[in-house]
Amino acid sequence: MPKKKEVLLKIRDLKIQGYSDETWVDIIKGVDLTLHRGEVMGLIGESGAGKSTIGAAAMGYARDGTRITEDSSIEFDGMELTTATEGERRALRGARIAYVAQSAAASFNPAHKIIDQHTEAPLQYRLKKRMEAQEDAVDLYNRLRLPNPAEIGFRYPHQVSGGQLQRAMTAMAMSCRPDLIIFDEPTTALDVTTQIEVLAAIRDIVEQFNTAALYITHDLAVVAQMADTIKVLLKGSEVEEAPTAEMLSNPKEDYTKSLWAVRSFESPQRFRKEGATPLISVKEVDAAYSAGPKILNNVSFDIHEGMTVAVVGESGSGKSTCARVITGLLPPQKGEILFKGEPFPADYRQRNKDQLRQCQMIYQMADTALNPKVKISEIIGRPAQFYSGLKGAALKARVDELLDLIELDPSKYYNRYPPELSGGQKQRIGIARALAAEPSFIICDEVTSALDQLVAEGILRLLDRLQNELNLAYMFITHDLATVRSIADEVIVMQHGKVVEQGPKDDMFKPPHHPYTDLLLSSVPEMDPNWLSTLLEERGVDNLGDAAAAKIDPNDAKIVR
Amino acid sequence: MSTFVIGYYALLLTASTAAAYFNKRQPFMMLFSLTLVSFIVGIIGGAGALRAIAFAAAALALAAMVSYAFREFLINIVGRELGKELRTAPLTAAFGMFVIFVYAIAGIFAPWIAPHGEAEVISSAFAPADANMLLGADQLGRDMFSRLVYGTRNSVGLALTATIAAFVMGAGAGLLAATKGGWFDNFMGRFADVIMSIPSLIFALLMLSIFGPSMPVIIIAVAIIYAPRVFRLTRAVAGNVVVMDYIEAAKLRGEGTGYLIRREILPNSTAPLIAEFGLEFCFVFLLVAGLSFLGLGIQPPTADWGSMVRENATLISFGEITPLIPAAAIALLTVAVNFVVDWMLHRSSGLKE
Repeated sequence: MPKKKEVLLKIRDLKIQGYSDETWVDIIKGVDLTLHRGEVMGLIGESGAGKSTIGAAAMGYARDGTRITEDSSIEFDGMELTTATEGERRALRGARIAYVAQSAAASFNPAHKIIDQHTEAPLQYRLKKRMEAQEDAVDLYNRLRLPNPAEIGFRYPHQVSGGQLQRAMTAMAMSCRPDLIIFDEPTTALDVTTQIEVLAAIRDIVEQFNTAALYITHDLAVVAQMADTIKVLLKGSEVEEAPTAEMLSNPKEDYTKSLWAVRSFESPQRFRKEGATPLISVKEVDAAYSAGPKILNNVSFDIHEGMTVAVVGESGSGKSTCARVITGLLPPQKGEILFKGEPFPADYRQRNKDQLRQCQMIYQMADTALNPKVKISEIIGRPAQFYSGLKGAALKARVDELLDLIELDPSKYYNRYPPELSGGQKQRIGIARALAAEPSFIICDEVTSALDQLVAEGILRLLDRLQNELNLAYMFITHDLATVRSIADEVIVMQHGKVVEQGPKDDMFKPPHHPYTDLLLSSVPEMDPNWLSTLLEERGVDNLGDAAAAKIDPNDAKIVR
Repeated sequence: MSTFVIGYYALLLTASTAAAYFNKRQPFMMLFSLTLVSFIVGIIGGAGALRAIAFAAAALALAAMVSYAFREFLINIVGRELGKELRTAPLTAAFGMFVIFVYAIAGIFAPWIAPHGEAEVISSAFAPADANMLLGADQLGRDMFSRLVYGTRNSVGLALTATIAAFVMGAGAGLLAATKGGWFDNFMGRFADVIMSIPSLIFALLMLSIFGPSMPVIIIAVAIIYAPRVFRLTRAVAGNVVVMDYIEAAKLRGEGTGYLIRREILPNSTAPLIAEFGLEFCFVFLLVAGLSFLGLGIQPPTADWGSMVRENATLISFGEITPLIPAAAIALLTVAVNFVVDWMLHRSSGLKE
């Protein structure tokens, strides 16, 4: 598919430095990049690889505290951006180069209507009159298949769902018909079912207007659908670049191969012991936040000793609420939680130390789950001290043992603070804190969704090893089906606060499915560059995500009650 | 034209040309505009005005040099971690720290520094400055300089105690309210509103006239006036911390309120609280000085800057600046503390670049 046409963006020997510890450190160490008109290039790499920094540099922009070195060259359509004045660069941004940020919800100004923000750029550059710009916006909304295109722009950002907002943002980037759009992880924060809508919309519109794009992501399967060429980055340097098909089928460098191999991990399926009392059993639970609508509706499931139960579903389906009910943070309105057949007090304040220690949590965002002002030794040591009454040398020995368990060197990490660690290391500390309580059951709330694939795989392997060694039961909340495939023993699918399907993993990945499970499964991007096209042909463009979920027939024969 | 004027212009012009030659944009603009201003000022005010400008510039340069040296001194005596933080301090903050340091020394070692006793009458009323009395005598013939030094101890000490008391009450209640929530939070919030609705000076005057102007009464009254403001800030800051996952994790572990506040919430709210402490200290200081000026603060013969201004106020009509010296001491400390607080606020707000 690569169209060899005129060169739009030419970056040569790009070096970007950041200021830290009173010296300038290279963040980007000499990257070359050539983008032709109408070409889509995928930039992938783990976090800290410099993807977003390069994206910003393509607009001639360096974030505060960073600078583009003088010998780098960024040439956009014949214009050298590194030597251009700020005024000249500003004239490009928005008009000829546009940017779509990761979180549309955080990037829209909540105080203005979407269409007012949309028409701002065309009006600013005097390209269109207000009414023209407005009509054009509606046209773009239409092309991006937003529901109610004529009306949706007149809402405020909070009145629109995340996936729609992301599409509105893409429409906004298109408002001046730019030559280049930079997409910075546009679908990372979305569910699989929503992601697919956004992907299809973005791909369509980029093709229609023959816009060049830099597509930044850490999800290989996504980039395979979008990009003509893929460039792999590692720690500010280029690893390799090749057309998508070639890159997928025949990666050259070891690092690229390791990225491709990530999804290979799979733990063997375990089965329930016959007749055993479940470790945790959730019985006919209804729950709601104060006077709000019911979040959980008659939810029942069992978790057996030493097994991993994955709870999947899109956001808002009640997965995390389920975890809150089990931990006692949200006492249920109806129903109860049994632990080894004994009822568990509904409120965590009424549970005794032994009951509290049995059930631990690992959080999605390790940044907010670890106190940044407390040393690692205390974060891990406190539960051991609190529950087991360890002191002095015994406590230190226990912390060292736990650090060993999570594969971090005790002598190196004992006295550090969380902000000094990388995302994956923080998540490991979170795991160690849960283990320190010597629990029998751990709730993992989206523990890998904020991590890069390589790091996430390491965490999954660690969790699996710990499970075998310590006979732990996991409740694994996730919306990523690849994670489910690799670690789960049993799967529970939730939608609108109800359990729609549950059973052993191997059965779940084999048809027949509940229609919703089917939708979830088929929406997970695959490493095949034609996957999205094939899927669109099968399902039709109007039968994706929310639209498809709404069309599920409640009387479908496959729905088992 | 005197040699001074010729030297003055020669220096300015050489410096601005040098700046222009070495392509230093900002210093050049500053020096050259100063030259232009000096032309006009020189024509209007003559050599005297130019001397004033030169004197001001020299004073500024001296202050900058002192601050720079003092910052280097601090960086060298504190540990590595703290040294790194200090390196980010602008010169104004270093100047503020230097002033605070000088005041602290003067306050702590007052009896050794002051040449005469606090209430010792050594000459006639309003005697002019001489070799014995650096700043002359006050309305009863006591040494002004000695009283100024002792005043540091009394005024600053009182303000510091009152601010600490306000912080202990306000921050304690704020942290508790944020952690407990519910009716306790509501009750404390409304209680703070009630106190804040009473004009502070009137409240202080009321308390002091009921219980009499003694040190403990002043401290308690001032602390009560300022505690609600601290309460509000602490509650807001802690409110942002209690929703974090690590607090939830600690709660689920079964930790008590004491541990939650002490180990989890407090370490994450210190930065804005310290900045607020500096700010509140200035307000408390000014309120105490104001009370003293009204005659309801620290009672004579104890030296205190506020009352010193009032007692010597008559001298103003004779063109003497003596009563302004304690006022200047108050102003200098306030400015110094604000310089330091600005730097801390800048750091805690994350506006690093």
